[in-house]
Amino acid sequence: MQLILFDGPAEKRAKFYPLALSRPIWELRCGITTLSEKLLAKAGVSEAACFVPEYMAGAYAQRTQWKVNDPAVLAGDDLLILNGRLKAAGVKFDRKGPSKVGLDEDGQCLWAWVRKADISRVKSGSFDDLLESAKAALPAEKCDWPTYNYPWDLVLENGDQITADCKAAGRSGIEGTVEQPGAIRGSAKDVYVAAGAVVHPMVVIDAEHGPVYLDQDVVVHPFTRIEGPCYVGRASVLLGTRCREGNTIGPVCRVGGEVEESIIQGHSNKYHDGFLGHAYVGEWVNLGALTTNSDLKNDYSDVTVLLDGRTPVDTGSTKVGSLIGDHTKTSIGVLFNTGAYVGAMALIMATGKVLPKWIPSFAWLLGGQVTKGFGKAQLYKTAKVAMSRRDCQWTDADESMWDAIYEMTAPARDIAIKKGRRAMLRK
Amino acid sequence: MATVSERVKTVTARVLAMDPGQIKPEQNFAADLGAESIQSVELVAMFEEEFGIEMDEDAALSVQTVGGAVEFITRVCKEQGVDVEE
Repeated sequence: MQLILFDGPAEKRAKFYPLALSRPIWELRCGITTLSEKLLAKAGVSEAACFVPEYMAGAYAQRTQWKVNDPAVLAGDDLLILNGRLKAAGVKFDRKGPSKVGLDEDGQCLWAWVRKADISRVKSGSFDDLLESAKAALPAEKCDWPTYNYPWDLVLENGDQITADCKAAGRSGIEGTVEQPGAIRGSAKDVYVAAGAVVHPMVVIDAEHGPVYLDQDVVVHPFTRIEGPCYVGRASVLLGTRCREGNTIGPVCRVGGEVEESIIQGHSNKYHDGFLGHAYVGEWVNLGALTTNSDLKNDYSDVTVLLDGRTPVDTGSTKVGSLIGDHTKTSIGVLFNTGAYVGAMALIMATGKVLPKWIPSFAWLLGGQVTKGFGKAQLYKTAKVAMSRRDCQWTDADESMWDAIYEMTAPARDIAIKKGRRAMLRK
Repeated sequence: MATVSERVKTVTARVLAMDPGQIKPEQNFAADLGAESIQSVELVAMFEEEFGIEMDEDAALSVQTVGGAVEFITRVCKEQGVDVEE
């Protein structure tokens, strides 16, 4: 069986911006793994092939062993085709069953099971052709498998997912080093410290309300309190952190201050004090000292998010923090509004006041206004430096992808820049 | 209509909180007028708004002096079909 993950359609992908601007949705995290890792486990395979938007194919191909956008994978075997938004726990298919497709409420294909013998019934020249022809040629059913629809779905499920993932991983105990004096609250069975991880003295690991999983080479500095459920990824460092419940911190992060029910994708820094709650932070983000986000409105009403800069989306939750795209940097003292959309590759300076709820990608936010700043070339230069500090390389494929993102995000940004200029003039 | 030079001085004075009469063409925005990097970005934005033009940020930010800004903006206005008094 060949598992194929696909990322689309475009209007549904856009609901995962700014985080999905630079990666397929299945690379997002929830619990201790990415969505794709869960889908692979569910399908019982160790690798997949995938179809992603063309503009990111080159950059993504550098980061995966999978075949990317290669139509050759559409022939020669049974095909299990899954949309990356599907929740793995809800996927139920019969390997021995006949070919069929599952459609969402808009009649769009969420999954397809195409037996090898039926491949001749569908067009397999391109992935889009295959999906369309499968809908027409194969029996279709309305799909009741659950999906993620927005980034905050991942954040709001994260605590429970960490608990479920830890149970599935079945790991427990101290394989690394836990220096004394320290304290573990709750059951020691709910704590896993992987080989190479070091927990310094004066650290409290509180597993009373959920498991704590510290992955390989994690370092936890003194005066950190980690409340489960919590996952800390490979080679990340906690620096006297108030790590409240429900956090997933991806690999190679530096995290201090107070963090609650948030997901940090990886390679990002929030070294200093400041509160991050119910947030999803991308890769290569740097949050300056005292950067803080609101995740709760004063009137306790549902949080809305401006995904496109214009139309508020009701999250249905009273607690949603910031969505922060890759490579964005904040100065000291930045204050993000409740449910703030903070684009990728943005540079944000504090004003002493709460910033606008929507900040476009590639914005230089100065004096609370969106400006062109020093342009994308300077942002790329900073990105290269940030990546090289962690032994990662900014490649031509990365630059091509970001150039495409720059163009995709230009119309909304240009409007914001003009609005910002008028505001500056009125000052 | 005020000349490009007069308008550049007016905008510069407003952004840097100075008297327009103190601003000379040979003066360097950073070294002589004390413009911080953020103010340089604000100057570019204000020139765009004042003249109704779009400037390439790299090219605009490479301009060092007030006189250089006048020349650069005059050229961009011509390229973008904006009438100005030279």
